[in-house]
Amino acid sequence: MNLLEIINLTTHFQTPDGIVQAVDKIDLSIREKETFGLIGETGCGKTVIGLTIMRLLPPTATVGGEILYNGKNLLEVSETGMRKIRGEEIAIILQNPTTSLNPVLKVGEQIAEAIRLHQGLNKHDAKKKAIEMLDSVRISSPSRRANEYPHKFSGGMKQRVMIAMGLACDPSFIIADEPTKGLDVTIKAQIVELMKEMTEHKAMLLITHDLGVAAEMCDRIALMYAGELVEYAPLDEIFEKPLHPYTIGFLNSLPKKGLVPIPGMSPSLINFPDGCRFHSRCDYATGECKQKHPDMVEMGNGHFVRCFHARS
Amino acid sequence: MLEVEGLTKYYPSGVIRKQYAKAVDGVSFKIGKGKTLGLVGESGCGKTTIGRLILRLIEPTAGKVLFDGIDLLALKRKELRAIRSRMQMIFQDPDSSLDPRMKIGTSIAEPLKLQGATPKDKIGQKILELVETVGLHPEHINRYPYQLSGGQNQRVVLARILAMNPDLIIADEPTSSLDVSVQAQILNLMMDLQSTFGHTYLFITHDLDVVRIMADHIAVMYLGRIVEIGKTHDIFNGAKHPYTHALLSAAMMEPAAGQRERVILKGETPGPTDIPAGCRFHTRCIRREEICMLKDPETVEVGDGHYVACHFV
Repeated sequence: MNLLEIINLTTHFQTPDGIVQAVDKIDLSIREKETFGLIGETGCGKTVIGLTIMRLLPPTATVGGEILYNGKNLLEVSETGMRKIRGEEIAIILQNPTTSLNPVLKVGEQIAEAIRLHQGLNKHDAKKKAIEMLDSVRISSPSRRANEYPHKFSGGMKQRVMIAMGLACDPSFIIADEPTKGLDVTIKAQIVELMKEMTEHKAMLLITHDLGVAAEMCDRIALMYAGELVEYAPLDEIFEKPLHPYTIGFLNSLPKKGLVPIPGMSPSLINFPDGCRFHSRCDYATGECKQKHPDMVEMGNGHFVRCFHARS
Repeated sequence: MLEVEGLTKYYPSGVIRKQYAKAVDGVSFKIGKGKTLGLVGESGCGKTTIGRLILRLIEPTAGKVLFDGIDLLALKRKELRAIRSRMQMIFQDPDSSLDPRMKIGTSIAEPLKLQGATPKDKIGQKILELVETVGLHPEHINRYPYQLSGGQNQRVVLARILAMNPDLIIADEPTSSLDVSVQAQILNLMMDLQSTFGHTYLFITHDLDVVRIMADHIAVMYLGRIVEIGKTHDIFNGAKHPYTHALLSAAMMEPAAGQRERVILKGETPGPTDIPAGCRFHTRCIRREEICMLKDPETVEVGDGHYVACHFV
């Protein structure tokens, strides 16, 4: 059963330089209780997908397509209706906890705010619940910590607070955007463990550029390149049988896999190259790749790839 | 090429009750000519401070730094200036390492003029040469840093460094702000340059996977001290310090890795103002015993050039 179904989603931004096609005709579905990893490099549009689902885009954005959540198209929900869905049914854990937390509000109050708004608890009960949440993300002496301001928390602890806030209203779907960015390796391992445990019975879209984190947490993985998905498959398939040259290049450029770089740079999201968007960096590119834009095709086992040469 | 002995930097803090933040606390290591030492540790462990102390961008509290047999700490300002051209540093964020109002060509010309080894009429040609060595195109010379990507700017930084023709390069997280595919490009370039020019690298990073490829030796730092140092192979295959174990197991990858036993450290690194008594790692260590809280472990040799500071080796 698909909890979230994204059909032909397009998010464009008007800018002085032209139209930025950050998300371009994306189809994606997330099942219940599944963790789906969206992997891509800086500027490929992955963060915009998360913001589009939450409808948190600036007015310069135009969105097309459908986002069906439990069968309901989120793009047609009223702003009031959306406010009810945010936090209560779908929560987002943003990157950069330092800038995402309000520096002049006590940590406990920030968590309690969401609880008060969505669950109608009074101030006292909401605070109690906030302290419980801090305890559940393993912040020691939570009742004292709830009365402190964010600057007293370390990066790892702020990330715990973000998780507590995201999960406070028990949403069924979570979008986590680079939840481990900027954390030290030992702290990163702690956060990954915590998130795995706290989201075991929830569906999650994990947006990251860190394949290691995705490998630890995800059931399925999609690779995004220049505004579109180029490959998605169950976790093991991506690692054992990557099919798209970008996926293969991405894996090979990891230090553990030999540090073989992909030549060139990602194209800008304003002017896509003709044909396959990856062709100028691809070793396998032929005349066909330069002219025609490949479609997503299924290769069996729920493995989809956007490449003319995937079969060979 | 570089020999560091008992290098220490304390920062005073506290007005009434004098305290010291022990950023670097008695660090010693050697790097052979043309070799790479990877200095690994988490944020706040003092690894960046070490890089700056070696170049005397900040003055050490105590210790010795020998560069090619010359005691850097005994040098006067002028002498230091002369020798600094042989030691260059590359920083984490390439965009802020370059002057945004200077064209790339001008940026590269600056060190050439400073060093003075290139005749004025040859500078243009030398810039072209450098730009090509680092894998950029001649048309980039007339662009500004904002018109280039992060990876390209890091290449410009490398070209500037090559202009000085240094022996030692201190690289402080040179790729941690770059995407993996670009990181691979820059690291490959750095390795190529090393084999062409015979540079000695001190490679400072938090990424164990990166030093595994780049470094001949690895030093693991925790709260201002090196807790383990040895050949790259020995560190990855026979790590002795519990902190090194934790770092190694925290580095994630591949689905299969989930099956192996993982050491997840509890708690966070204490600050450099309140370094725990005894072994500084004991508050987070899984092997902690009473002795660890009382006595600071000595650094002992456990193999060829492999040193560990732990009571249980």
